[in-house]
Amino acid sequence: MLAAMSEAPMREPTFLVLTALAEEPRHGYAVIEDVSALTGGRVRLRAGTLYSALDRLRAEGLIEVDREEIVQSRLRRYYRLTATGERSLAAETARLREQAAIADRRLRARRADLGGAPA
Amino acid sequence: MSALHRRLLTLYPSDFRREYEEEMLAVLAADGRPGPAQVFDLVRAALLVRLARLPAAPPGLRRAARVAQFFGTLLLLAAALRRVVPFVPAGIEALDPLDVLRAAVWAVVLAAAWRGLRLLGFAGATAGLALEVAAPWRFYSDTPAMVLNAYWLIMAAAVVLVAGLAAARGGDRFRGVLPVLSAAGLLVALSEVYWLASSQLSPWLMLGNGSLSPYYMERAPEFAAGVLVLVAAAGLVLLAVFRQEPAVRRWLLAWAAPVLVTVPLIRSGFDAFIRHNAGHPEATRLLDGFQWAALVLVPLAAFLTVAHLTSRYERGRGPARTGGVA
Repeated sequence: MLAAMSEAPMREPTFLVLTALAEEPRHGYAVIEDVSALTGGRVRLRAGTLYSALDRLRAEGLIEVDREEIVQSRLRRYYRLTATGERSLAAETARLREQAAIADRRLRARRADLGGAPA
Repeated sequence: MSALHRRLLTLYPSDFRREYEEEMLAVLAADGRPGPAQVFDLVRAALLVRLARLPAAPPGLRRAARVAQFFGTLLLLAAALRRVVPFVPAGIEALDPLDVLRAAVWAVVLAAAWRGLRLLGFAGATAGLALEVAAPWRFYSDTPAMVLNAYWLIMAAAVVLVAGLAAARGGDRFRGVLPVLSAAGLLVALSEVYWLASSQLSPWLMLGNGSLSPYYMERAPEFAAGVLVLVAAAGLVLLAVFRQEPAVRRWLLAWAAPVLVTVPLIRSGFDAFIRHNAGHPEATRLLDGFQWAALVLVPLAAFLTVAHLTSRYERGRGPARTGGVA
């Protein structure tokens, strides 16, 4: 499953959740806030999407529970990236970087063909 | 709002709720974005979580699906050719275009099954199923029994369609091709001999009213010979089934169950209906909703029951003895 995952491009919510957890262990609502911040408010995950993604990522071994706290009599569980998750995020980041570089080169070439006019 | 959230969370599998319900309720309370989009998100995610938890189909079932698709298509092609071959000497105008089309479509599906071309197999089997329904449907309003007579063919076409979708990719060469090819040849040959025509056998096979009519009794020797040929064809199919590896053999029974169950279903469940229509041509009854539901649900239940029993049997034997991997 991991091999198949590494071949297929990651869906954006997955990539963003892993990115949020790459900085430090976070609980669910903190992941929502961080994803919103790192996308400039464009993506604000909802609870269903977030927890179905967390459940799947745990099953695939990309994240794991870091610790649990009780805050105002409610369970707060922190998640962290695993070594496998780190490799998977690094692979996806490299793939995106490569694609972005190709797009960038073609845009430069296009602008050059058009005599330096902005695209 | 919390009550609504709790109700929506009941859509999730119980193990998921045990793990995340409390957290999700806290996030939903903190998030402060109620409304249809939130409800949609929770319902959609519940569906995805449930889909992700569906057990993978047993490898034996998928390998048997590949065999069922191939054998089923071969027999459907034989059944279609049986209706075409006798009319070929009389010229093209004697042929029913629908029968010719059925034979052509099943030939294409057979080639697709042999080569493992899934998309072509799916498209062909969909067309084949539509043609198997369309052929008797032309006479449905006058003679509803035509649909019942042909129902095993319709169900076989449906099984071929579904089996093609579930079939394991690739795999070894098909086993038992020669016996099932011989059985198909016998079925086609039945049409060449007038006293073995299917119309004489179908009342006994499908529309059984408990006893043979005087007409059939008068032709008892020919009738018996026809039954013998059918028994020989069935024997060859069984031989082909026994040539399969044990796991495939077990699961082939699950794929065959929806077709096999149509015979007792039609014979026992629709006997009074057929008797009424035969005796009252002026007031032909059509199938009602309950009867249609039975025609669809009984074969489905047969498949699920046999598949469940096979799964239980294989679990009891342990993974090492269930026929290996796909």
